[in-house]
Amino acid sequence: MKHLILIIGLLFTGAEALMAQQISVKVADMTTKEPIVQAHIKDGPNSVITVTDVNGMFTVDLSKYSHLTITAVGYAPKNIHLQRGMEVIYLNPEVFRDQTELLVLANEEGEQNVHAYHNRTADQGMDQFLDNIDGVSTTKRGAFGWEPAVRGQSDQRMNLVIDGMQVFKACVDKMDPITSYVETNNLSKLQIDKSGSGVAQNGTGVSTVNLVTQKAESAPTSFNFSTSYRAPDQYRTVSLSGNTSDASGRNAVRFSGSYKKADDFRAGNDRTIQNTQYEKLNLNVNYRHTFPSQHSLEAGYIMDKAYDIGYPALLMDATKALADIGQIRFNFAPSNNDFQFNTAQVYANGVRHWMDDYGRDVANRQVMRGMYMPMYGTTTTYGAKLNGAATLFDHQFDWFMDAYMSDAFGDMLMESLDPSIQDMLIYNLDEVKTNNASLGFRHRIQLSDNVLMKIEESIRYKTLRTDSESHASFFQGLYGEAPGTRAKFLLSGSGSVLWMMNNNWSLSGSLVYSERMGNHMELFGHYIYNYTDGFFYDGNPWLKTERSINTDINATWETTGHSLSFTLFHKQYFNYIDGVLGTDSGSNDFRFKQYANVGDAVITGGEFRSFNDLGMMITLENRLSYLYAHNQTLDEPLPLMPPLKGNTTLHFHRGRNMFMADLEWAAEQNRIAEISSIEDQTGAYGIFNLTFERRWMDGDLTSIVSLNNILDHYYHTHTSIGNIPEAGRNLMISLSYQF
Amino acid sequence: MNIQSMLGRLMAVTALLVFAVSCDSSDNNDPELDLIPINSVTVDGYTVSLEATNELEIGANQLFWKIKQGDDTITPQSFTISPIMDMATMSHSTPFDQPETDAIDDSYLSNLAVFIMPSGDMGSWTINFQFTTQSGSDISGEMPINVNSSWKIMNTQDGNGKKYFVTWFEPQRPMSGNNDLTFLVHTRETMMNFPAVSDAEMIVYPYMGMGGGTGHSTPFTPPVATGNGFYEGDINYSMSGLWTTTVELVVENDTLPEMVFEYSVIAK
Repeated sequence: MKHLILIIGLLFTGAEALMAQQISVKVADMTTKEPIVQAHIKDGPNSVITVTDVNGMFTVDLSKYSHLTITAVGYAPKNIHLQRGMEVIYLNPEVFRDQTELLVLANEEGEQNVHAYHNRTADQGMDQFLDNIDGVSTTKRGAFGWEPAVRGQSDQRMNLVIDGMQVFKACVDKMDPITSYVETNNLSKLQIDKSGSGVAQNGTGVSTVNLVTQKAESAPTSFNFSTSYRAPDQYRTVSLSGNTSDASGRNAVRFSGSYKKADDFRAGNDRTIQNTQYEKLNLNVNYRHTFPSQHSLEAGYIMDKAYDIGYPALLMDATKALADIGQIRFNFAPSNNDFQFNTAQVYANGVRHWMDDYGRDVANRQVMRGMYMPMYGTTTTYGAKLNGAATLFDHQFDWFMDAYMSDAFGDMLMESLDPSIQDMLIYNLDEVKTNNASLGFRHRIQLSDNVLMKIEESIRYKTLRTDSESHASFFQGLYGEAPGTRAKFLLSGSGSVLWMMNNNWSLSGSLVYSERMGNHMELFGHYIYNYTDGFFYDGNPWLKTERSINTDINATWETTGHSLSFTLFHKQYFNYIDGVLGTDSGSNDFRFKQYANVGDAVITGGEFRSFNDLGMMITLENRLSYLYAHNQTLDEPLPLMPPLKGNTTLHFHRGRNMFMADLEWAAEQNRIAEISSIEDQTGAYGIFNLTFERRWMDGDLTSIVSLNNILDHYYHTHTSIGNIPEAGRNLMISLSYQF
Repeated sequence: MNIQSMLGRLMAVTALLVFAVSCDSSDNNDPELDLIPINSVTVDGYTVSLEATNELEIGANQLFWKIKQGDDTITPQSFTISPIMDMATMSHSTPFDQPETDAIDDSYLSNLAVFIMPSGDMGSWTINFQFTTQSGSDISGEMPINVNSSWKIMNTQDGNGKKYFVTWFEPQRPMSGNNDLTFLVHTRETMMNFPAVSDAEMIVYPYMGMGGGTGHSTPFTPPVATGNGFYEGDINYSMSGLWTTTVELVVENDTLPEMVFEYSVIAK
């Protein structure tokens, strides 16, 4: 009898479990807590399972659809692993996405409008992809490690982060841009805040690029293998990525790895550009554990190793560049509390960079003739971030706390070919410490049904010092005062307004005020070689705060299948930090500058982008950008500013086939810096590229053939240091298999 | 807050203050001399010892003297020295001060001596000393010393053949970064008298040759006379390696032939 009762009990329990596979969940606005109607519940990028009803509710079979993507107009998409007991899923409003653009990579289909960029060809590298975004350019010194610049501002005037983490370059000559540490197969999206209006989060008010990496997902096991080969530079790459999770979905692991190697590339007219080879290995692993409470913990690690990187524009090449980047992030489950935590993150990273000129003809060069100059640099950074939302006196706002500390070192040994001359050693940076802590707030205020205002503010405390007595004494000797610890409170703020005029037109504008303390090289760098003007730079610990005011106006028109966006901006700098001639070195061979506040400067310009669905599976995309940048004190253009440039892409997509024709072009650049730099004029160019992609085996296998610079045009961009030309005609074949 | 709680907090604060003050007492330690023995001689039961911070070399040297009777250090009524270079056919002295009680450690007498040539085949150095004990006994003796070569002293002369000795006083160990730059200038009136020169103008120029005819200077402040033959400025070495510093003396509007100090600057 006991056994019978037990069997019946088990049957009932099982039936209850089966019935419980149907789950109903509400989708709501994170800010207002109001239900979101017509939100799309997807099983994958495009397959919509259901939509939410007037109460924001949807019901799905948990046994069939445990991992979902939820999208809704005006909200950031959300990937979620459904679990029994889950009642509400909150979506974050994304009404200001025109300021924080979403760039989708990895060849995924997504929003086909002016808000999203797609890396439509999986074989396109990060550098090329960035270089073709309107308002973004790259500074090039060879075939590797292009340094991104947003609206002509790079390095110290923009904030380049990985998952929000600060990673400082180790190379004082800027040969190791942070973008090189995230491969496209590990990139989830790029967040580009051109105006810097995301002050609360970026803490600075300067243009920000955030490389958001792929995270482990509670999803069925998947695996991707891809390989590419390009001629004539013998570029070959192999990459792997995979994701798996346990049956409960609580534990998930994602890994990715890539190896790439290239020989010297050929520019147009079959001219081989010597010393443009490189080799690189990148590994990434990410683990995610989701607690029953819906809190989750993530741990991620990136290792990047690059070897034998040729820099034809520079005096030397990078022999080895190593980066180790780790983070642990705790994601809090949504709550209705007045004070909420969203994420807590701690991270650490170390970057080391070796370079030398042992492979160069140092005896016959003009600069630093007759000596080898091996250099080493390293940075170590620790940081923590915490953010959440709060409601105070019926006012809801987001808050962000950010803190990091970094230690930088760099030296250069000079070994003369003349054995009678002793070796010489320079400490470019010695025990230079940066500490930074910031607190930011973001407020959204609904002024009317179709006007929304956003106000952000940030206060930041930053210190810079050197703990090396001899390094500090150099600045004491140069400026007559011991530098000690340089500390500043820095304020930034922004105000943005979005006016949804009607169903098609929207207008937005923002005003951003930013204060910037010089970075560790501007304050404590010593004999930092600037390859753009050929001067050696000394830091200045007594630099005043550089201030800027940025105004942005954007008009966007969107209909089904068509959209265009037009942006104008104007940025005014005060106390602009730049180099001025230093003390006479008594030499014509070595020229020195010191950083100083040189006065005012201005950068103004605009970007245009249109996206048109022409029917017949054909889409047309146009991008255009222009910058006018002027040093008002010297009355000359700022250096390294791209000219009017753009590209036009015709995209034909039918069934398993995709064909893309792309025209990249740039006007001539005659506005050049001749006082603060030694620029020359750059001619106009236009190149034509074709790509054909076909999917096989139900889409599991993808083949791509790309033919770039078909006319084999010989050209260089204005932001190419040393006028190193771009690649000539090249053919690339890629295969990608996934299951 | 009740009284007990307040008293507890006061005691805690007091304890912290006492701890902080006691920790700070380490800053009041007297600096100590770090000396090496040079030589010692015993005369009439008194042992006269010479010590210095480094082996003696041409240029400026700080000499530290100690006189002992048995194990007891004694303080004489007076103590005088006279360095002599014996060159067989002639002898001469060198610029020097008479010893006085050392400011750091009063068990020593100390003085500055600028040796203008090294010991060797050309001749040998001896320091004659004489002191009077507290009981009135006069003791005298001589102490042979060895003086090594160095780059820290150069000489030039005017149109009348009057010699000027320029001594590199500091930095003793030139290092990357900012350094005090101090020279001493003496002239030779007689073979036994080398008075300090404090009314000259000094022109200096640091330079680093990098091969192939290239090179560069570095920021510096020209030394100016501060008395007793000292000329003080500073020099900010931009990098380690082999440097030269050219020195010209302008004496009574007469620019004397330049002297070139060549030396290594260490990284740190």
